[in-house]
Amino acid sequence: GQRLCLADKEHISGCGTYERNGYIYSTLAGVVNVVKEERSSIIEVHSSKGQGIIPAPGDIVTAKVTIVTQKFCKCVIKCIGDTVLTRPYRAIVRKEDVCATEKDKVEIIKSFRPGDIILGRVLPLTEVHTYHLSTAENELGVVIAYSESGVAMVPVSWTEMQCPKTYVKEPRKVAKVVPETVTVD
Amino acid sequence: MEVNVGDVVLPGDVIQAPNTNDKGKLILGPGLCRHMDEVLITTSGVLRKKGRNVYWVDSHRKRYVPVKGDTVVGVVVNRSGDTFKVDIGSSEQASLSYLAFEGATKKNRPDVQIGDIVFAKLLEASRDLEPELVCVDSYGKKGKLGVLPEGGFIFTCSLNLIRKILNPKCQMLKILGSEIPYDIAVGMNGKLWLKTKSIKETIAIVNAILTAEHLQHHEIASLCDDVINALKGM
Repeated sequence: GQRLCLADKEHISGCGTYERNGYIYSTLAGVVNVVKEERSSIIEVHSSKGQGIIPAPGDIVTAKVTIVTQKFCKCVIKCIGDTVLTRPYRAIVRKEDVCATEKDKVEIIKSFRPGDIILGRVLPLTEVHTYHLSTAENELGVVIAYSESGVAMVPVSWTEMQCPKTYVKEPRKVAKVVPETVTVD
Repeated sequence: MEVNVGDVVLPGDVIQAPNTNDKGKLILGPGLCRHMDEVLITTSGVLRKKGRNVYWVDSHRKRYVPVKGDTVVGVVVNRSGDTFKVDIGSSEQASLSYLAFEGATKKNRPDVQIGDIVFAKLLEASRDLEPELVCVDSYGKKGKLGVLPEGGFIFTCSLNLIRKILNPKCQMLKILGSEIPYDIAVGMNGKLWLKTKSIKETIAIVNAILTAEHLQHHEIASLCDDVINALKGM
């Protein structure tokens, strides 16, 4: 809540700060860090203990599914982008946000199961203490899943994954993971 | 250890599957699991085979694990929003929607109270989701499902006894029914609901069913005759 400086073209609010009424205020108790760029400087506040990063709307996060019901699934956010979090955040994926197409016909039990690792995008915040995630893109969805026998499954299509030991196929909403580096022969 | 059909098997045994059926499918029932190229047993019991390619393990169970499509007898324990919570003897209570009854609409609520007994069918049952019940079939008709009338008696027995008395080869229910009029609802979750005209007849039929656990089919017929004679003599 402490006022740091004027918010103008030369001073931009970074993480740990917010802009209000033309001034930049701090949100955390910590140390001010000024990052100088060509013509402007970013004002950040770093807390002395713990990470300063929290899920922001639009971020892609990695979450683990804990509970699945008919209308939504609860999960726990483990990483934001590339940063692994020291403390988990709770999130929900609603039935309407699982798939971009055919929102009425989606069955959550055929998209996610408890224990799956999913990639999701954070939606604008509505509730306190829980984030809403969406997997309604081709690149989002289940990345790692385990079959009923506890073995890691291999994706066979956008809607199914197969266990390499029992050859049983299980339905999931599979993410299209694009490799970062492609080797050219 | 390799086993054949009709043997008593333990978890970890490997089945000797016939190799001549390479083009056909092998259907693995409860108690069997495929591991790479072998078929492993996962529950202890007797290995059985039906037809050419259906195998399963007949095991002794008391604890019910919900399976999609089973008809079960349950007790309504709670109402939350527009669903009832029903206790069917499994690890989680099942949910039964208001609209899953014949002729039910949002304005026309079914007459179901806490403590009522329902005979319902499992619509969805999975390891990770709570079981869902319906009291109406896919055509919207009630059939035999729904709330059971008052004045009945509920008792539990093991799951293999349920499968035994529902087997067409078992004549027990028919023989008892020819002399003693009764109403019965057999739930695959090990619970039976029984209604007769008097307490004596109820106790006689309950005892007859429970005693049939360890009897063969031919012995069951003589058991039923004994029970009927004893009732007439009283």
